[in-house]
Amino acid sequence: MHRRLLLILLPLLLLALALPPGAEAQKPIKVGFPMILSGPGALFGTPALKGAEMFVEEINARGGVLGRKLELLARDTKGKPDEAVRVSRELILKDGVDFLVGTLTSAEGPAVSVVAKENKIVFIAPIPKTDQLTAKENLHPYVFRVAANTTMEGRSAAEIIAKWPVKRIATISPDYAYGQDVTRAFVEHLKKIAPQMEIVDQQWPKLGEADYTPFINAQLAKKPDAAFSSLWGGHFVNFAKQAKPLGYFDALKYNFFDAGEGGCQETTSAMGADYPFGIWGNTYDAFYWPDAPPAHKAFIARLSKFLKSEYPSSWSIQGYIGMQFLAEAIKKAGSTKSDAVAKALLGLSVDTPAGKLTIREKDHQANRGQLYGKTTRDPKYPFAILRPVTYVDPTKFMD
Amino acid sequence: MPDPSFLFAQALSGLTAAMFLFLIASGLTLIFGVLRVLNFAHGSFYMLGAYMAFQVVRWLGREPSSFWWAALGAAVGVAVLGGVVERLLLRHLYDKEELYQLLFTYALVLILSDAAKVLWGTGQLSVSRPPGLAGAFRFFGTTIPYYNLFILLLGPAIALLFWLALTRTRRGRFIRAAALDREMLGALGVNVSGLYTGVFVLGSFLAGLGGALVTPVKAIVPGMDVEIIVEAFIVVVIGGLGSFWGTFLGALIYGQVLSFGILIFPRFSIFSVFALMAVVLILRPWGLLGRPLKT
Repeated sequence: MHRRLLLILLPLLLLALALPPGAEAQKPIKVGFPMILSGPGALFGTPALKGAEMFVEEINARGGVLGRKLELLARDTKGKPDEAVRVSRELILKDGVDFLVGTLTSAEGPAVSVVAKENKIVFIAPIPKTDQLTAKENLHPYVFRVAANTTMEGRSAAEIIAKWPVKRIATISPDYAYGQDVTRAFVEHLKKIAPQMEIVDQQWPKLGEADYTPFINAQLAKKPDAAFSSLWGGHFVNFAKQAKPLGYFDALKYNFFDAGEGGCQETTSAMGADYPFGIWGNTYDAFYWPDAPPAHKAFIARLSKFLKSEYPSSWSIQGYIGMQFLAEAIKKAGSTKSDAVAKALLGLSVDTPAGKLTIREKDHQANRGQLYGKTTRDPKYPFAILRPVTYVDPTKFMD
Repeated sequence: MPDPSFLFAQALSGLTAAMFLFLIASGLTLIFGVLRVLNFAHGSFYMLGAYMAFQVVRWLGREPSSFWWAALGAAVGVAVLGGVVERLLLRHLYDKEELYQLLFTYALVLILSDAAKVLWGTGQLSVSRPPGLAGAFRFFGTTIPYYNLFILLLGPAIALLFWLALTRTRRGRFIRAAALDREMLGALGVNVSGLYTGVFVLGSFLAGLGGALVTPVKAIVPGMDVEIIVEAFIVVVIGGLGSFWGTFLGALIYGQVLSFGILIFPRFSIFSVFALMAVVLILRPWGLLGRPLKT
């Protein structure tokens, strides 16, 4: 018995010795990508994954990183933090991924950050915005963010609303980390820069609320003349569908700002002609962005081909940038060890399709801004677009 | 004291929500009352109704009447599906333990939600309000969308129709008799198995109709099936499982508690509903208008 085992093992051992030592290094670098791929959040999650896939295809065509190909392992988080944690653990323990890039909501991001910390694996969050992800008490060497955060977003919105001729401001935001944090940042900054304005009402529907009518009525009763919201994706669509016939946007004279990417084409095209044209919104990307940095145009052309879409998604860029930072950091570190890559990410600058971005050493946060503008009807497109489109550089709001 | 026109608006929005819920929950309670099957897949039928309505609207284009054809088509489509499910699958489980029926309907939930994802993708879809009901009017200082008014009238109309059918027609009497004692009804020569199929088809029709009618107000997304089934269960538990008017009452209470709950506990509106359900369960485990189950 023992001899037979030896007879089998011996050739294997010899084979292992005979193989060139580079064989180990030829294995692909595995990147786990936990993302919402079903449910209302999939509208943003699926194109974000596509962006990451496009980056992997491009870099592998050029020979990969450190001579190794990248391999993307996507998993559906279903938009639930417990599921995000479960698939992330599975990616690390069972699939043996070297890094994690992904998560979408502000509930998932911090939850997966804990998993990254436990397993000492670099985790780059391309979309979650809550400040808590990179706040002092939660920061650890392995977590990084290439999305805007709630402070940057709330303050950018406040800067815009402060210029409106309005006095009575209301807010309506989903009652969870992202909604609370961005609304707090907005209110605090607005009070500072526009003390003449007054917050007259704040509504907090739960995330995934089906019927916004009571909240809308309650808000209208306070007679605001402008409103700030951070409802996003399908939540915003539900809200707007119910608010429009109630005369909500008319009562505000369209002085309504949705910071939950209310201006991204996924949201505007879901509503088509029913969209409340004239409100303000933001988006991570716009294929029609006229003053985009030079690299953007080429990126959009490639993305359009990759997605086989005339109007390429505004979310793919986040998956793309997340992977771009990871690949650059591996290159800089010359290693796929998370400790080395984490060090390489500190202060790393990358030329992304959205311009040059840098991850700060202090809080592991990139200076990723967003596009802001007023939604407008353009006969060229079957959905609302932002016009003019302004990129708000968040660098001055980051502290 | 808040402005009376605001209170009116809140009450009205609660009523509208209640009528939607009643449409869904009445089918659930009907099926349970007669077949004694707790149909978890009822929410999935509702979701399919929404997707089918979207599909029909897409086929017909922006014709003024396309929404109404879509609503009818979706309800009939779901009813047919319900009939197939009852005839081919569910009927083999009537004499098995309740656990098997629960597992079966739960399996249906999973299968149908994946089927919807395959057919329509995971993105959110939207249907416009029918052109005739797109606007709104002012009444007592409140803006009321015509579509909401339509739902407000439709709910009681369906309730009344049902009640008449159940109490005034021969078939209605059979249904009520089947709810009380199916063996005896069969012994008297009534085709109970056909009756069961009919009831299941009718319940599915209501779910499909509810799903189709909700599309102008809500986005169509995967996950809407589970969301509604939880709400519908709360409604029938409050009102009494199997009790028709109980379901109506449960839906009314649910809508008002949600509407006014946000005034009292702005951040815990959903909490008030669960608290209400807990109180009802403690004081009257069989629901407000339900009958205690014979053991």
